[in-house]
Amino acid sequence: MTEYWRLLQTGYDTASSNMAIDKAILIANSTGQVPPTVRLYGWDPPAISIGYFQSLRDEIDIKTCERLGVGYVRRITGGGAVFHDKELTYSLVIPESHPEIPKNIMKSYGRICGAIIKGLGHLGIQSDYVPINDIVAGGKKISGNAQTRKVGAVLQHGTILMDVDVDKMFSVLKVPNEKIKDKLISDVKQRVTSLRHILDREVDFEEVASAIKRGFQEEFHVKFMEGTLSQNERSLAKEFEKECFSTVEWNHRR
Amino acid sequence: MRSQSTYKIPQGKLLKISLEYDEQSNVIRSIRITGDFFAYPEEAVELIENKLIGALIDQENLQKKISTIIRENNIQFIGLNAEGLTKGILMCKP
Repeated sequence: MTEYWRLLQTGYDTASSNMAIDKAILIANSTGQVPPTVRLYGWDPPAISIGYFQSLRDEIDIKTCERLGVGYVRRITGGGAVFHDKELTYSLVIPESHPEIPKNIMKSYGRICGAIIKGLGHLGIQSDYVPINDIVAGGKKISGNAQTRKVGAVLQHGTILMDVDVDKMFSVLKVPNEKIKDKLISDVKQRVTSLRHILDREVDFEEVASAIKRGFQEEFHVKFMEGTLSQNERSLAKEFEKECFSTVEWNHRR
Repeated sequence: MRSQSTYKIPQGKLLKISLEYDEQSNVIRSIRITGDFFAYPEEAVELIENKLIGALIDQENLQKKISTIIRENNIQFIGLNAEGLTKGILMCKP
């Protein structure tokens, strides 16, 4: 019997709302209220998310963010700072006990990234998972991913870069040493790629979303029901946004 | 004395330690562990920070202590380990 998962296309949202929605789905799934869920979304305005353990002040040039209207938020997942601009972001929320999810965390990263790799394949891009948490195409990073496990549920979210402006990225991200900033920028230009760069054409969000959706269906042998956030998820998300992701206490806690 | 270190864990992530310690007794007063690593559960890092208060800054002592905390609390690190954490702390000292 085919298993049905929920697909949410929540569109573009702010940094604090995006992270609140992912957490709301995690909580709703952990209490059995909603099925395994794949969410596809974007960021408006563009924003930086930092890993749970990072220091906001170390990673982000807050003044430049404010001047350029770039948002910022601390994630509940570990990992590094990400500038979310022209990209598609996915999240998968699924019970830890689901038979398709390896108990071993590293293995589960690989498995979930398998869905993204299959999705990229539908765009004509051959890519590979590179531990710990990257997907690379032609030797360059196209996707970064981060996972947490809480209250019996797994949340993995990640980015698929559609286009990248490394210079803009480094105007809002801090570098450890200003003297080597130019070198660092050229290094990152060498190491990071995008769908636009590989395919040499404009790629739109819907095209990527449709490919990633197919990738998940094939990797996990499931079908999707297009859904919306439940009433409870919406109110949880509002609560998390207000009490947590939009607060100084949360974002500046490290 | 306040001090900081940045250490790239071999085959792992970037660890940044911010340390306050007593120079005379060589003991940790407070420590903040930051970086782009992963820890499960995430709260474990704050637990380690709290449990290291009062610890003697000595390679063998720190590594043993951190390993014990990791084992007793079933902490799983990705991109970080007890050895790296110890090294990051020791690097805070001149």
